[in-house]
Amino acid sequence: MLEFAQWLEMTPLSVTIKSIEWIIPLVQSIHILTIAIVFVSLLMVSLRVVGWIRMDEAFGVVMERFSTWISRGLIILAVTGITLVLGEPIRELMSLSFWLKMGLLAIGITSAVVFKRSLAPAVLADGAEPTFSPVAKSAAMATVLLWLTIIFLGRAIAYDVEVWGALSLSPRA
Amino acid sequence: MDLTAFADALQQSGISEWMRASLKALPIIEAIHVMAVATVFGTIFIVDLRLLGYRDMTRPFSRVFGETLRWTWAGFALAVVTGALLFMPNARTYVANTAFALKMLGLVGAGINMAVFEFTTLRRVASWDSNAQTPMGARIAGATSILIWTWVIVCGRWIGFTKGYDFTVPKEMDLDFDFSQGCLNCFSDLWLG
Repeated sequence: MLEFAQWLEMTPLSVTIKSIEWIIPLVQSIHILTIAIVFVSLLMVSLRVVGWIRMDEAFGVVMERFSTWISRGLIILAVTGITLVLGEPIRELMSLSFWLKMGLLAIGITSAVVFKRSLAPAVLADGAEPTFSPVAKSAAMATVLLWLTIIFLGRAIAYDVEVWGALSLSPRA
Repeated sequence: MDLTAFADALQQSGISEWMRASLKALPIIEAIHVMAVATVFGTIFIVDLRLLGYRDMTRPFSRVFGETLRWTWAGFALAVVTGALLFMPNARTYVANTAFALKMLGLVGAGINMAVFEFTTLRRVASWDSNAQTPMGARIAGATSILIWTWVIVCGRWIGFTKGYDFTVPKEMDLDFDFSQGCLNCFSDLWLG
């Protein structure tokens, strides 16, 4: 992986990103603003599943309101995230937090897609109210914690040695 | 007590000492700060879009506002506590940092924007609560809020790319703003003597 990261660092695109000093701060800011929108959209859907908010609105309407922001937000996060990896390949790829984040991201996205597909067509089309089991409600709150952990790990990438000590993948360790 | 003396006092406090000596405290608190900030921005964004008349128009504003804002305040409280903990160990460098000052200016602006909205447009909420078109005051408050909070987040991120202090450092002055280097130094001092 270190060799791959070192190779990536020498590619013209990576060199360009690094050479223009405002790119990384700007892209990081966009990444944070977008994850705020995506995370809170997921939070709102989860709180609706639990029944704490928006109970005056049909579940399908709430899904419609937030799922577009989630899916489009995830595209922006992917684009900005890849830019950041290209700009600082060693810092990102040689970080335990980065790979844990990617793993949790795969679980988070899969669970969101599975959840949306599991809803009966009547829920999205005719405003029918779905019933959620206590397990489904717990799972909804678990995804909130999962996304909070994803945000946490994103920031922890910069401090891999400090956070993970001997487990860190960083060449600094 | 002037600002520098106050910053010095904070920087020399027990909590600051602990934060600097602990290898993990600052990164972990910083990561929690980002979680809190994301909650604040994301929830305020929902209210702002409603103020702009762009989303949730089938629901009364007061309901969107009341339901969402408790999460904003929870996030904001956590952001203030974690932010203070990040500030204290390096208080002297933060008070001299332009990006930090601009971020604080943004927070003051956000407070003023909110107060103006609450004392004017929100007072008359009954007259426009369920209207498809929100009043001009509401739209201005919503747009201003999005701009200010974006500014706050950009400045917050910008702090990490500055050298911490914006003045010529006297030779005897110790500025351990470079946090990861500071941590590594601290680590090597502790373990290697």
